[in-house]
Amino acid sequence: MALSSDEIKAAMLAKAEKAPKPQLYVKDFYACDPDTKPRAIKNIANDLVKEGKLMFWSSGSTTMYALPSRIKNEETRDEAEENK
Amino acid sequence: MPKHETPLLDELEKGPWPSFVTDLKRQAETKPECWDILGQLELSFKDRITHWKHGGIVGVFGYGGGIVGRYSDSPKEFPGVAHFHTVRLNQPSSKFYGTKKLREICDLWEKYGSGMTNMHGSTGDLVLLGTTTPNLEPLFYDLTHDLNMDLGGSGSNLRTPACCLGKARCEWSCIDTQALCHHLTMHYQDEIHRPAFPYKFKFKMSGCPNDCVAAIARSDFAVIGTWRDDIRMDQDAVKGYINGDFPANGGSHAGRDWGKFNIKKEVLDLCPTNCMWMEGDELKIDNSECTRCMHCINVMPRALRPGADQGATICVGAKAPILDGAQFATMTIPFLKIDPETEFEAVIEVIEKIWDWWMEVGKNRERVGETIMRVGLPTFLKVMEVDIIPQHVREPRSNPYVFWQDEEVPGGFERDVIEFRKKHAQ
Ligand code: HEM
Ligand code: SF4
Ligand code: SF4
Repeated sequence: MALSSDEIKAAMLAKAEKAPKPQLYVKDFYACDPDTKPRAIKNIANDLVKEGKLMFWSSGSTTMYALPSRIKNEETRDEAEENK
Repeated sequence: MPKHETPLLDELEKGPWPSFVTDLKRQAETKPECWDILGQLELSFKDRITHWKHGGIVGVFGYGGGIVGRYSDSPKEFPGVAHFHTVRLNQPSSKFYGTKKLREICDLWEKYGSGMTNMHGSTGDLVLLGTTTPNLEPLFYDLTHDLNMDLGGSGSNLRTPACCLGKARCEWSCIDTQALCHHLTMHYQDEIHRPAFPYKFKFKMSGCPNDCVAAIARSDFAVIGTWRDDIRMDQDAVKGYINGDFPANGGSHAGRDWGKFNIKKEVLDLCPTNCMWMEGDELKIDNSECTRCMHCINVMPRALRPGADQGATICVGAKAPILDGAQFATMTIPFLKIDPETEFEAVIEVIEKIWDWWMEVGKNRERVGETIMRVGLPTFLKVMEVDIIPQHVREPRSNPYVFWQDEEVPGGFERDVIEFRKKHAQ
């Protein structure tokens, strides 16, 4: 039985919270519900970004997902370094 | 007045060719941040290492692609390029746009960015080089509202689809590349603007096997126009070429006298499958052996044309060196009708079959061509439900084992062990 999209969202956020590295590949979320197709998982991950609960991190060639609280963008990091 | 001394870069202004260093210095008169590009690049030449940091969190709201975050690792020294993000704009199909549009894009970029552009990036996008994070949203607003244009793809997204000139300008085009490119771009907006895959995925379409967008070398999914009936021939025009009435190759070798046209040397002997010959002054082609390389047609365009039963070959899995070396796309579907009437349903079906499999089986940062290499072409062709034909075979087999599938063996692999033991000594 596939989980509901709300259950999958909760599992994804829990995973993003606990994962050793803040950035996750979309594939890392597949395990949140093996019965849901990868494309549906990707759509749910993108919905979480729209809701502001996950963020995209991109190198330009690869895109990853992260919790906003676990990742800093370059501007705030530079400011944080200056204020140290 | 130069802000940084750039003796190494200045060397690049000395040749007879145009120099990006000269261009940047000129641009720096109105956009002072360009001095810092020169300064940082000079430092990279000295240190032999890039001073750009890789990636970051930048983009416009609702999009997960189209803007590539770039930051200097020495922002104190080069404040003009502390942020220097790249913006990709989805180019019109076949890169058809007027100078008015080009001026609008340049004006927009003078307003919100460095003014520097790269026409066009390898994916085909119009590339705008260098802006700051706070400029992104206003730029995007003007781009979509005033210019009626959109961002292209980046990251693990579907990249901006690209096509050759196609039927708009080329008599050889077997498919309407522009219609297909535009349709797929609109159909897959979500995949272009938001990450969808283990890694990037590129569509490119060429109208004929001359493959002017190099789809076979540069795209995960290449649609290349072809035909399945016979090359159309005009024997009178063949004689005309032999008599020297028409210049070979449309006159493109006119710069030098190459002597009289020699059909044997210039056409028959260069046919890769040796399927052409002369019978008296009649040209013959064994079309069942023709590999559709376009050579003979390119040499004698008045005499030979692609056949009339047209469609496309689908090749899958090209990539540049990332994990392994560079590889061409592999011919997967020999012939597919490309039908705008059905909104290219058949093409979309193939695309989705590849995606469903690759998203499941592909590893992180693995292009579909690498996944195919890893699991083997026979497995991929089975997934694609394609019947294997000799043209799928690249080289004679070197593996002596034959693997039978359950359904290929009469009675399958299941057996009654007790029955078996009765007949065979234990
Ligand atoms: C980590 C341990 C082992 C490794 C990496 C290993 C690796 C291999 C490899 C690569 C082959 C050749 C397969 C081929 O060419 O088709 C092979 C064949 C074979 N191995 Fe091992 N092996 C291991 C342990 C063992 C053990 C413990 C036994 C027996 C108790 C064993 C018995 C055999 C036999 C009988 C063959 C021949 C099979 C055949 O030709 O049908 N192997 N092994
Ligand atoms: S790929 Fe073929 S159809 Fe397209 S522009 Fe080139 S020659 Fe013409
Ligand atoms: S298209 Fe190429 S393979 Fe076919 S007949 Fe002409 S030269 Fe030979």
